[in-house]
Formats: sequence, structure tokens, C-alpha cells
Amino acid sequence: MTKIQDSVLKKQDEDWKKDQRDHKRVPAITNGIVNPAKPSVGNVKRALETAILTPPDSEEVRKQYGQTQGLWSQSSGKLEYALYKTFLSILFVIYACVRYIQYEYNRVKIRILNLAYSPSNTPQLIRQDVMKLQKLPKRLAAILEKKREGDVGGGTSGLLNDGSELVAWSISAGIKHLTLYDYDGHLKRNVDEFRSSVFHKLCKYYDPTNVPKFAVRIPQWNKVYFNSANADTSEAKKVAIEISLLSNRDGRETIIDLTKTMAELCAHDEMKLSDITMKLIDSELTQLVGHEPDLLLYFGPSLDLQGFPPWHIRLTEFYWERDNDQVTYSVFIRGLKKYASCKMNVGK
Amino acid sequence: MTGTNRANSAVEAVEHEMKQVQNRVKPQRPEFPNLLSYTAVRHFLHALELWVWSCILNLACIQWIVVQVQKTLIRVLQVGPLPKHVSFIMDGNRRYAKSLSMPTKSGHEAGAVTLLNLLAACKSIGIKTVSAYAFSIENFNRPREEVDVLTSLLAEKLDEVAHRAQDRNSELYGLRLCVIGERSMISKNLNDKITRVERMTDAGESMILYICFPYTSRNDIYHAVYDAAEGCKYHGQRAADIDVQNFTKRMFLGDYANKCDLLIRTSGHTRLSDYMLWQVHENGVVEFTNTLWPDFSFIEFFSMLLKWSFFTSLQRRQLAKVSLRSQTMHFLKDNLLPFKRKQISYEDLPEAPQSVSVVLRQ
Repeated sequence: MTKIQDSVLKKQDEDWKKDQRDHKRVPAITNGIVNPAKPSVGNVKRALETAILTPPDSEEVRKQYGQTQGLWSQSSGKLEYALYKTFLSILFVIYACVRYIQYEYNRVKIRILNLAYSPSNTPQLIRQDVMKLQKLPKRLAAILEKKREGDVGGGTSGLLNDGSELVAWSISAGIKHLTLYDYDGHLKRNVDEFRSSVFHKLCKYYDPTNVPKFAVRIPQWNKVYFNSANADTSEAKKVAIEISLLSNRDGRETIIDLTKTMAELCAHDEMKLSDITMKLIDSELTQLVGHEPDLLLYFGPSLDLQGFPPWHIRLTEFYWERDNDQVTYSVFIRGLKKYASCKMNVGK
Repeated sequence: MTGTNRANSAVEAVEHEMKQVQNRVKPQRPEFPNLLSYTAVRHFLHALELWVWSCILNLACIQWIVVQVQKTLIRVLQVGPLPKHVSFIMDGNRRYAKSLSMPTKSGHEAGAVTLLNLLAACKSIGIKTVSAYAFSIENFNRPREEVDVLTSLLAEKLDEVAHRAQDRNSELYGLRLCVIGERSMISKNLNDKITRVERMTDAGESMILYICFPYTSRNDIYHAVYDAAEGCKYHGQRAADIDVQNFTKRMFLGDYANKCDLLIRTSGHTRLSDYMLWQVHENGVVEFTNTLWPDFSFIEFFSMLLKWSFFTSLQRRQLAKVSLRSQTMHFLKDNLLPFKRKQISYEDLPEAPQSVSVVLRQ
């Protein structure tokens, strides 16, 4: 069924450069918009303002308090309403205090972990950490985020740096397939910079004259790049890692494109309806997007999947460190540890 | 007459059954363990703790206090933001039964009781849609007896829920029940029963309960793809018109398929296990907790909802374009000033004085 793939790929290719989705994205509520993890008095104030000033979501409650039967019952309804709103804001304040303690606790924990696990560009240390584990994920995925320009590690260059660091760790850990996801596809767009960034990072970790080979795959355009652009590719050698770059485009929209193509083929009698099976869809999506990862790492404060391809997170194990906001080695290795210890029983 | 009699006896049978289940699920006083074995002592202590708690909670005065507090908490939560769609992955029934050394069946029964309690809470809070992952297609790989137990449990509970949804005094009154998933995989008898119950509760408007039995999210997406292709082939729809919105509407959850605001997974695994993939992957909140499903209590659920409510309030403020001052002014105007301006018509105004022009005076 290469016909399906060709048609979907053609559809995906249109106007990708104009696509600026980052500012349209609404993050998961727990992750905030401006400053993700950090609780602040200003935030509590904002939450309280909305909680107090906006009417309740549920229509029945609104009706219940807004009834107009005579003067007395109306005002008592209002009083009751105000009373409950006050209770709600008190609960919010209590929750905010609890949250603050949690946050501080988690931050201290993360700091200690970062001290405990610091590879300092040495592959041997990483390999040693990994050797203690019983199993490794075959395919690893990570969700990266572009931080604001001007922050430390922000902007596209910060994203490229995070991505290449992950590549270096994965190679050292012995993982063969890595999927990097970022919502707007900055990594894809700057694939040449990404390749050279990975190359430089690997030069730091390994002997610069004999850097491990890598392949970068962009499923959306069906392209594969080998190593960095200016490195010599004369000797044919096995690649140490295959990196796929995904973005939001590979999620829901790819499934829709696939549906459209199949529907067209069915309407023109080039394909039977009974040919559409789970297996076919699965194999097509594997071709178009990639395999399902075993472990998904997220480096934000609380799990936000950001539109990661839905078909591909069926049994994926998630790992994120609470209140963390940096791409650090400790999250990486702890994710691998968690994966090694978890039991998979599909349905049984 | 015979009709009502039969209905009454059916109601009694259901109530009898409910009481029996509650008795069976209630923690018993555990037997004294072998002191030399560490795990036996630990199990004993756990069971003892549960038993003491259930004894305390069964005292009438304490029960009354608990109910009142619960009611107040619900009313407090009601006035804030609420999730539209809450979903549960009910995991941990078997481990629960194992930890109390009961048969697997009572674990599942205890889980069903927890679900019903939470449903009542959701309903009184005012959450419009609740879904629960009762059985995965992969679960057919379990031992035959367990599959049978789960299927018969579903049949039993369907009756109970339908009965309570019709009963004006019950807290589940007005509930609409839908069983979604790959229905072709379950027996015809059960299918007929489900259809009957669905039709019975069809008119309910206050809340929709989706029971996913046997369901997987990939199967759901596959069905939507198939439907779309079928629509193009036989119903003359155009393939170019398919987009995310109408594709989403084709899924089992219909209008609620786009987003699940809060997905709760118990018993500590941090994966989705082929559930709600499409609904959660954009920016839905997933809460993972280590509690086993039968132990999942109202208080824990409440704290999750409070957290959700807090962060939603915060996000709404951050996303809102209206300035706070104008919002406050509107709010004050609407709520504090008791007198609204009357509608005035031109004809009702008193006659104005005679109009005289300076030019014409001479």
C-alpha cells in the first residue's frame, strides 16, 4: 500500500514553513503559561480572582443560586453563594500552601539528584549506571520544549542543545532508537543545525576522530540524513543510533490525512472497505510516523503530552520528575530505572 | 397489577442483592496471624486497620458527620470551575483482593461499589460526563473464570444502576448509561440486556455515564476511520471534508470524544494502557495515584478535583483577555446594585415646556 503513504506524505508537505503553532498551544493546566513550575503569590492571587469572580461552571448551580422568588430567598441564596465562594477561596489558599511545600521539597530532591547523577561528558559512567539495570527500553521518546528566548537554555539553540545532549546519553546508554518530539517542529526545521550540534556534542563525549555514526529521520517528509553535513561519510559503518524527529503535525492530523486517503480510495473503488483493518492502520502509521516507544520522558513539571501522536502511546510508560523544568541526566537515568523495574502485563 | 407486582419484586431483588454485596465487601475482623512471618503480620495489620475504620465509620453519629462534611465540600466545589469529562481507569481490584486474601471476585465487587459511590459524588458535584474503563479487549486473555465473573458483574451492576437511575429518591436519578466499545465481542444475551438498559435510561439528562466494555482506544480510532471511509463510499460525503472535528465526533464518545479533562489512574502504573489516547494526548490532565481502586476514597477524589479547579482558575485568568477591573465592575453592577434601570419609553415622559424661538419674538 505504498500509494496510501505517498498520498499522505504529499498532503503533509504543504505549507509547513508557515506553521507557527507554538503560541496557539494551550498547555496542560498544571503547567502554566509563563513560568511553568514555580508557584508564586501572584499566581495564587490570580487563581483566587477567577474563582471568586466568575460564575460557577455548572448550569444547575447557577440556576439554583440565581432564582428570583421574592426578596428574602433571593438574598439568602446570594449569601449562601458568597459563603461557599469564601470557603472555596480558603481551600485554594490552603492548597497553595501545600503546593508550595511540595514544590520546595521536590526542588531540593531534584538538586540532590542532580548532584548524585552527573555524567560530566563521560560515556563510561553512563554505561556503568545502565549496566545495573535488568532491561532497557528498545525505543525511547522524549518531549522537548522550546523555552522563551532570553532564558537560560531558551530559544531554538537551547532546544538543539537539549536534543543533542539526549542523543549523547542515549548512545552511551546503548539505546538504538530515539524519538524527539517538539510541538512546533523546531528540530525538524533546523535539521542541519541539529545534526552539527549532535556532532559537536558527540565530539565532546567521544574521540573526535572516531565519532559514533547516527542517522536522523524525519518521517513527515520521509527523509533520512546521515551524520553531520560536513563530516566525511566515506567509510560505511553501522549507525549507533537512529533519531526520529516528530512534531504536532505527526499526531492527529496524520491520522486524519490517512483517513482521507483511505476514504478517497474506497470511494473510487480502488480499495475495499473490508481492507481497512487495525493491522493496516497500524502498519501505515508505523511507516508514516514510526514505532511505538517503550518509554516516554518528559522534562516539564507535570505530565503534559502536548499532542504526541495518540496512536503511539498505547502501552508507553511515562516518566517525568515533579516540578522539574530542565533536561537533566538524572531524569533520564531515573526514567530508565523506572522502566527496568516496571512490570508489563498486557491485559492479563 | 401483576406488572407492578413483578416490578416491585424485581426492585426488592436488586436491593437485596445490593445489601448482600455490601456485606460481603465490608471488611471482616481478621484472624490472628503467625507472628513469625513478616508478610502475614503486615497483611494482618492492614486488614485490622480497615476493619477498625469501618467500625468507626459505621457509628451513626460519625456517619452523619461524614455525610454532612461531604455535602458541604461538594457545595463548595460546585461554585468553582468544574471538569466536563472525568474518566477512571479502575486498576488494582485484584491486588486489593490479594492483599486481604479474598477471592478475586470480591475485589471486583468492591471496585464496583467504589465506582458507584464516586458516581454519586460526581453527580452531585455536577460533572456532566463520566467514563470508566471496565474491560479492555486485551482482558479477554485473562483466565476464563475471571472474564465470566467480570461479565456477570457488569450485567448485575447494569440492573442496579438502571434501577437507581429511575428512582426519584436515589442520588443517581436522571443518569444516562451507555456501554461503548467493541460490542460484537460480547455475547448476544448481554448485548440485548445492555441495549434494553440503554433504552431505559435514554431520557436521563443530568449526567452521562460511559462504561467502556470491551474497549481500547486504538479500536475506537480504527472504528472512526472505518466509519469515515464508509460515509464516503455509500453516503456521498466528500473525503476532503474530513477534519479533526467531524472525525472526533465519529468516535464512540461522540461529542465528548475531543477532550477528557481529568483522567484518574489508580494503583501506580504510569501508562495509559490503550485508553483515552485521543482524548488525553493534547493537554488533558492525567492523575496517577498509588492507591488501589477499591481504596480510592472521596477525599482523594476531592483533593484531585480541588487541584484541578485551582489550576484551571489560574489558567483561565492567564488566558483571559478582559481586564480584571472591568470584570469586577460588571460583577459589582450585576450583583450589588439591587435596582436595575427601568426601561423607559418616550411616550411616558411628561410634556416638555413650550418651545419658543428668539428669532420669532420680534
